[in-house]
Parts: sequence; C-alpha cells; structure tokens
Amino acid sequence: MKFIEIAKKDLRIEFRTKNTLNFLFLFAFLSVMLFSATIKKPEPVILWIVFIFVGMLGYSRAFLREVETGTLEALKISPVEPASILFGKMIFNGVLMILLEIIIIPIFIAVFQIYPRDLLLAFAVITAGNIAFVIITSSLSILVIKSKARELLMPILLFPVVFPVILSTVQAFTMAINGESGDIASPLSVIIGFSIAMLAVGYLTVDYAFIE
Amino acid sequence: MIVVEFKDVEKAFGRFKALKGLSFKIKSGERVAILGPNGSGKTTTARLMSGQIRPTSGTVRVFGKMRIGEDVKKRMGIVSHNLFLYDDLSAYENLKFFARLYGVEEEKVKELLREFGLWERRHEMVRNYSRGMKQRLSIARSLLNNPELLILDEPTTGLDVEGRERLFEWIKDFESTLIFTTHNLSEAEKLCKRVLMLKEGSLVFDGESKEIENKYQRVMK
Repeated sequence: MKFIEIAKKDLRIEFRTKNTLNFLFLFAFLSVMLFSATIKKPEPVILWIVFIFVGMLGYSRAFLREVETGTLEALKISPVEPASILFGKMIFNGVLMILLEIIIIPIFIAVFQIYPRDLLLAFAVITAGNIAFVIITSSLSILVIKSKARELLMPILLFPVVFPVILSTVQAFTMAINGESGDIASPLSVIIGFSIAMLAVGYLTVDYAFIE
Repeated sequence: MIVVEFKDVEKAFGRFKALKGLSFKIKSGERVAILGPNGSGKTTTARLMSGQIRPTSGTVRVFGKMRIGEDVKKRMGIVSHNLFLYDDLSAYENLKFFARLYGVEEEKVKELLREFGLWERRHEMVRNYSRGMKQRLSIARSLLNNPELLILDEPTTGLDVEGRERLFEWIKDFESTLIFTTHNLSEAEKLCKRVLMLKEGSLVFDGESKEIENKYQRVMK
C-alpha cells in the first residue's frame, strides 16, 4: 500500500503549507461570486465550470510540485512502482476535491438558490464527475511533466479528453436537481466507464512517461 | 559477483549524446570512482544505474537485472547533489516516509538520526537545516535499507571543508560496493581504488587510481 503512504505524505505537506488548498478555495469562491454577479439565470453547469477551472489549475500541482522541488527523483530511486506514485497522487487530489466540494457546494446553493430535490444524489453525481476529473487530470499530468510548456500543454490536452465527463456530469446533476433520477444511469455509466478507461490508460503509460 | 554491468550503453537527450558506447563491470565490494570534467556523463551514468533514466541503446544490468525495479532498488542507496528530501517535512518525517517505502522498521529511523547527530533536531523542518545537515540526512536516508550498493553522485557539491571531511570519514567506513562520481581527482584517489574516467561520454581510462594522475591532467585540459 505504498500509494497510501505517498498520498499521506502529500496531504501532510499540503495541510502544513496550504499552498494548493488556499489557492483552490480562493479561486473557487471568487469564481462563484463572479458568476453570481454576472449571470441572471442560474444554471447547474456553472458549478462545473468552477470545478473545471479549479481542478485544471490545482490537480496537476501534485506532480508539478515534485518536479519543481526535485523530489520526483526521490520517488524514482525509491522501491515504488510508478503506478503507485500515480495512484497516490490521485488519492491526494481526490481528498482536495472532496474538501473543495464540501465548502463550495453549500456556497453555490446559497448564492444561486438552486435547491436540488435530491441533495444526496446531487452530491454523489458531482463527486463521481470530480473523481473522473481527478483521474483524467492526474493521468494526463504525468504525460506532460517532461515538457517545458507543461502548464500550457495541460489545458490543451485536458479539454477534449474531459469533455464527455463534463457533459455527462452536467446532465446527471441537472437530473438530480430536478429530481428525475430515473434516467440517471446513462450519464453515470459514461462517467464511470470513462474513469475506468482513463485509469487503465494512466496505469499503462505511467511507466514509460515517468522514466526518460 | 557482478553488481553493475554497462554494455555498449548510449544515452541521448534529444540530439545531445551524453554517453557514447560505455562498457564496464563493477564487482561486489569494489570502490569505484567515476571521474571526469563537467558534462562528461558521470551523473547520467549514475542515473542509469539507479533506474532514474533508461539507456537509448545498450544494456545496463544491476544485480544481474536489466529492469531496475522495486527488488533492485531495495538493495541500493543513492546520495546525490540533489538531496532527495522534502523541505516541508521534518527530518523524522522524511526518514519515516522513505522507511515505509523500503519496508523498514521505524526503529532504524531513530538509530540513523542518532548516528548522524540529527536526533536533537529531528522534529525541525528540513528547510531550516544547513546544507551540511541536509547532506547528513540524505546519507541517513540512503542507508535506511542497509544497501549492498551505494551510489554517491557528486555528494560534496555545496559542502564546506568540514562537511566534506565528515562525509569522507563516513564513506571510508562503508563496507559494501561503492560508486562515487566526482570531478575532483584527489577525492577519487582518497576514497577509491579503481577509477573509471569519462570524457565527453566515453570511457578513457579504467584502472587503479594511482596510475591516473598523468592521464587526468591531459583529459582535464
């Protein structure tokens, strides 16, 4: 269970320095406030736009920070399979994401006055979408770590790949808000299927992407 | 027993060829210095041995294995000018983290912190440590698994004279296979019996350190 150790180490550093956390919360909060001031008719997709911006900038930090500090090499020389490092980063990003959800969703509901008929389902759908987003972001950030223009390359690679997940999550979230849970299996299966596929892609490519 | 074997190893970074057909063998228990000026391929050689990078062509075997995976890494330790430490963790947390990756008991962490004189400041963040203290901690990290092969990649970079002497004292006592990369001939002579000299990615000398002085002067020019 070395990936758990890697995730625990990252969380310890993050809670100590709050480098990424503070930035994520502040950025998410500002985005929600900005949307609330400019958009008259509230739409569920706004919440997802916030998560995409925050996630795109924040989740790839887990790897980039290790590259910048030279500690990725420390993991490379340690007896850890590259896949464990990838899964550790996914867990770390997943925890950040859940913390973000716990804070931003109530603010979003209060500001836009969107009251989901099925709150639990709405939270579950957002979480499923965000988990897929974390898996995709983490898998792709490994592929760009060697690039000098990695921060620019990341959104270009991410948007086309993550698009089906965004579409399905917004559909499922709208259903949860309207209490139409009967057809929710279809977008949820896209989210789950995509997550599994990207997890497999990450697992299969990490070894080659990691070592020059 | 052969611990490290390079056979016709080439390593290119884009168009730049860092190593050009490097071949050598290092036996168990040997102390070998890899010597050469900056850009000669010393660090690339060390990184190939430790599995941080792969050769472009040729084969690298460590403990007889071409794939430098978990089983091989568990048997080696690496000290480098890159310290491989987390600045935002304490010395104790750093060693504990790596000990868990190596599957080593926490008792070993305590033992090493005491041995390297870091016990009193074990809960302090590594970012507050001096370069010498960080280097000691880095050595302690490399010894967590009682390595059969220790790779020291220019470990004296950034160390003051006292730090260097302490490091050399410690290296002298190390009993397993040791590979030490340096651009400093006197350091190589002091610590290792055998010297491999690299120039522009090629091996130009493989022999005893006492034979090397004349050759080294020519290469450095």
